[in-house]
Amino acid sequence: MTSELRAAPAAGRRRRIAARTRLDFWFDAVLLVAYTLAYSYGFTGIGIHEWLGLGIGLALLIHLTLHWDWVIRTTGRLLRPRGPDKLIWLVNLALLGAMTLCVLSGILISRVALPYLGINLTQIGPFWSRAHTLTAEVTLGLVPVHVALRWRWIVRIGRRLLTRPVAGRSR
Amino acid sequence: MKFLRHLAAVMLVVAVVVVGGLAWEHFGASTLAGGFRGPVKVVNVPGGLLKGLPPGTAVAVRPGPHGPVVVRDSGGMSLGLDSMFQAVNLPVLWNAVEIEAGVIAAVVILDIARRRLRRFLRTRRLQAGGSVD
Repeated sequence: MTSELRAAPAAGRRRRIAARTRLDFWFDAVLLVAYTLAYSYGFTGIGIHEWLGLGIGLALLIHLTLHWDWVIRTTGRLLRPRGPDKLIWLVNLALLGAMTLCVLSGILISRVALPYLGINLTQIGPFWSRAHTLTAEVTLGLVPVHVALRWRWIVRIGRRLLTRPVAGRSR
Repeated sequence: MKFLRHLAAVMLVVAVVVVGGLAWEHFGASTLAGGFRGPVKVVNVPGGLLKGLPPGTAVAVRPGPHGPVVVRDSGGMSLGLDSMFQAVNLPVLWNAVEIEAGVIAAVVILDIARRRLRRFLRTRRLQAGGSVD
């Protein structure tokens, strides 16, 4: 009886972790596709580009919030001589800066989404247009690095999520 | 509750980056927009006046007393979805996909090579009778 009581929360925790892993995997996959589409401004047209950009801005806040534990943990370990994830931490920091400035400059130079929402920014200099182009190019280099540095996790989870379990075999 | 606490921390970090960006524009705008000085005044013209133009189209750029003035079509209440997903522009998407795939492949190959090299060096050290670390 006691062991059953003890086992129940453990099983729940396992299920929660699995659900969280699934959420991370699919949320990040959608984010990558949305980013690629938003970057391809010439393909999507300005409307989709701007609305998608705004959505990505909000999704990034959620993405960072979901991984905030990792940020705190890794930042605390940065001064250790053989601390793990230093490169990933640096890439992520650069990506945070570039992506935030990209969304910010995109909002400031918006020609469709913001006017549609009744916001008209009429004193915006060429600085923000250039900043938008520059940060977009930087993010195009950093996003795939950010993804690739976790390729083992992606392959492992992707295999588990995308392949059907063989009947009669427990994992 | 934990999510909201973390979200607040994230918002704070993002706010710091935003303030940094605004400071960059204020103190060092010439580093990016060298030729231009000061803001460009944008005049939004209601969509009804300029028919047949996609929203956001700049229709005139003229010098003003306080810098250039851009006259553009605000497009009324259009969501700007009339120019989306043109098949003729598909190469733009492929270009982005190719760059991403290329960078991912390069990083993965480098990571595999680095791990194999480390394993090889460790094995050699063990065979020579040294310690692992």
